[in-house]
Amino acid sequence: MVAAVTHSDVLGLKRPAGELDVSRALMPYRGSWSRREAAHLLRRAGFGGTPGEIARLAAMPFGRAVESVVRFPSTEDLPAPADIYDSRQDVLGLGPGGLRALDPSERRAFFANVRKREVRSMLALRSWWLDRMRKTPAALQEKMTLFFHGHFTTAAIQKGVTPAMAYEQNRLFRSYALGNLRELTRRVSVDPAMLIYLDNARNEKRHPNENYAREMMELFTLGVDQYTEEDVRQAARAWTGWTYNRRLGRAVFVPGRHDDGVKTFLGQTGKFNGDDVVDIVFSRPQCARFIATGLLNFFLYNDPEPQLVEAFAAEIRRHDYDLAPAMATLFASDVFFSGRAYRALVKSPVEFVVGTYRVLGIDRIGVPAQRALAQMGQILFAPPNVAGWPGGENWLTSDTLIARENFVARLVQSEALRPSSWIGEVPMNATQAARTLIATILTGDASPAAASQLGDYLDGAGSEERVRGGAYLTMAMPAYQLA
Amino acid sequence: MKRGGFLLGALSGLTVVAATDSLFSRALAQTPLPGLPGSERRVFVLVNLQGGNDGLNCVVPFGNPAYYRVRPTLGIPQAQVLQLDSQIGFNPVMKSFKAMYDKGMVAVVQGVGYPDPDHSHFRSTEIWQTAAPGRYGHTGWLGRYLDDAGLPKENLFNGIAVAQVMPEALVAERTDVPAIAGLHGYGLLGDRNRAVRAAYGRLATDENEPYASPYLARVLEIEDHAQRGSETLPALVAGYKTRASYPETPLGRSLALAAQIVGGKTGTRVLYVQHGSFDTHVSQKATQDRLLGEFSDAVKAFYDDLREHGNDRRVLTMTFSEFGRRVAENASAGTDHGEASPLFLVGGGVKGGVYGAYPNLTETHIGNVPFTTDFRSVYATVLERWLGVASAPVLRGSFPSIGALV
Repeated sequence: MVAAVTHSDVLGLKRPAGELDVSRALMPYRGSWSRREAAHLLRRAGFGGTPGEIARLAAMPFGRAVESVVRFPSTEDLPAPADIYDSRQDVLGLGPGGLRALDPSERRAFFANVRKREVRSMLALRSWWLDRMRKTPAALQEKMTLFFHGHFTTAAIQKGVTPAMAYEQNRLFRSYALGNLRELTRRVSVDPAMLIYLDNARNEKRHPNENYAREMMELFTLGVDQYTEEDVRQAARAWTGWTYNRRLGRAVFVPGRHDDGVKTFLGQTGKFNGDDVVDIVFSRPQCARFIATGLLNFFLYNDPEPQLVEAFAAEIRRHDYDLAPAMATLFASDVFFSGRAYRALVKSPVEFVVGTYRVLGIDRIGVPAQRALAQMGQILFAPPNVAGWPGGENWLTSDTLIARENFVARLVQSEALRPSSWIGEVPMNATQAARTLIATILTGDASPAAASQLGDYLDGAGSEERVRGGAYLTMAMPAYQLA
Repeated sequence: MKRGGFLLGALSGLTVVAATDSLFSRALAQTPLPGLPGSERRVFVLVNLQGGNDGLNCVVPFGNPAYYRVRPTLGIPQAQVLQLDSQIGFNPVMKSFKAMYDKGMVAVVQGVGYPDPDHSHFRSTEIWQTAAPGRYGHTGWLGRYLDDAGLPKENLFNGIAVAQVMPEALVAERTDVPAIAGLHGYGLLGDRNRAVRAAYGRLATDENEPYASPYLARVLEIEDHAQRGSETLPALVAGYKTRASYPETPLGRSLALAAQIVGGKTGTRVLYVQHGSFDTHVSQKATQDRLLGEFSDAVKAFYDDLREHGNDRRVLTMTFSEFGRRVAENASAGTDHGEASPLFLVGGGVKGGVYGAYPNLTETHIGNVPFTTDFRSVYATVLERWLGVASAPVLRGSFPSIGALV
């Protein structure tokens, strides 16, 4: 009755106009290599380049430039979040009897305090991650981590997903940034945050809970209508036995809760466990197509053509779901540097915010940025639902655009914008100043009329206002909303 | 039981005519129906009970012994139920809402759902919002209404989502619907200097960019709306005051803003608010009781506020949830994703009472309440009898009205 759907059927995702030449799409790119292409690569494989990074990348030969992005350096030296609140320490500190010894009002007070500290801890964790995106030498590692966060969604601090679990999952995503996706899916399936968020921790032999089994197939690997309700039930049985042990603070497998009987799942029969279910799912060509669609939507352009999905899915399968070679192919491909892909995505709020700090040379992303992100419709560790952030036109409403403009207005007026950065060197001549601003912030992507109006505005503005108002106006140009 | 047979049986007396899109192309624009004087001042408020509200513990079938068998721990004792008739009653936390029901302000429509129910939040929400089961729609049902209702095109506020994120129900092809979570924040700071603002305005109208992007036109359109909207909205709703006591909850704040918009000069016809999450797989009682209590008190305050300003008869409010929940409770004192559930119509135009068949708890559909009223019949009723337009072009098919509206 209904054709197979994938992420591309989400409302508000627009495919570029014109025809794709699929025979060339994934072939190596042979066109010009300049600041414009380098900035494009840095926006997609990261959070946008600083003026210095763009220049350095553009000066490298093309092949080495792509390799430097994909083979990112180790990031073990980057600091871990300062302190992640774990309520277990407070529970253990209660003394004999623990929670049970408290009367109802003491319990309420105890949990209110836990809640308060968890909220504060999440704020710190978000600031930490945003700041890591800003300063990491391995931008693609963070970009993939953000992709996985929207793909294998989990929300903290809902349903008992603690800040510690959110961080643990975040680390898992990062450690598999360009790793093997099948292996990551096995690991995510028994990751504490996921066990709790999608109820696999409550999935036991006598009362199987289908929530994870269903979402895993619908949203993580296959898409709707690729399995039956019976497949959901059988997959749920396979994962029975996994749970989260709050005392130990980790996921555990309890054999007595596991249904070790024979299951028939997606046409195969055996005494399957959760890993087997993942393997069977990943053996389906549809799984590679679904993953390919998600990656192309996030890194290339929205609503990719079925033929392109098929070609990229074949690439993913050829590498047995190892993402490093597949993503290297994409970032060096003809279609990636084609006019189809250029400025073809709407920046997510996180890309918008982190990129703005980067291009302006402002450090320390703090709580004000988080407030702005919430108004723009993206709160890290709190996707709107299990399907993640839909993207595309969904980011663009008058209110979220107001939030974007106001974020820039506040930032360029703040003390944090120091004239010691490149922006202090903007030429005095208004026409030249406009050209510099547009070249540095937008790699030239502004209409002649916009450039001349920016020049008109700068002409006669004071030196301070020239920099602050100029940056604001340049960032109000349409290209700045587009990645 | 076979689906087809079930469908025909359940809907005996009703005829469902599914039609293809082409039959209802844009050429068949909506035409106001005769006999609805004043419909141009009417407002429709949609409240999404997000996450799957458990219908059986919201409108409790206490008169059915099967209810207590399938809900050994979650079942609400008959003595506590706020009884509507000999069979059903509201959850005990819904006292304010029951008082509204007693005044004839509430219609309860039971067993609302659709054929071939989907159990995924994502997909089922999409089905309710697009009103397009069995296919993948790209516009919301209220978006299609806004596109073709002949409302003034220059008005930026024909529809408003009082929400952080745009709901699919309001996604339109030719109407930009803003999501305005609060008035605070809906204003541009860029006018610290008139010149900046003037230059900004000119930039936003220029389409001659040195690149092609599928999103460029949209960015320019939304930039224009952001400027015009943020300049005009505060004045349009200025000076509004109320004595109504809204609960200090997200829904309370959303409905307070909705009442202010209704009382202002925005010309808004459709508002959307969100409440949840009702996804109660675990320890359902505490969560659902809190959410239903908040809902009940917030809706009461909303209509108090509207009445204070003489707007209560102008505003029809409807709830919906993507699905009800499994009939039997699970081992975690919760319930899993189900199918049909009741919804509420409140306020203007409502003929108070209980509509539709009581839930059948013994002949379930894979453990769920089978639907007896197609949700599109409820939408058709709202479109035709409240908003005053033909429903078939919006719903892409003819669905019989139910009797819940005057």
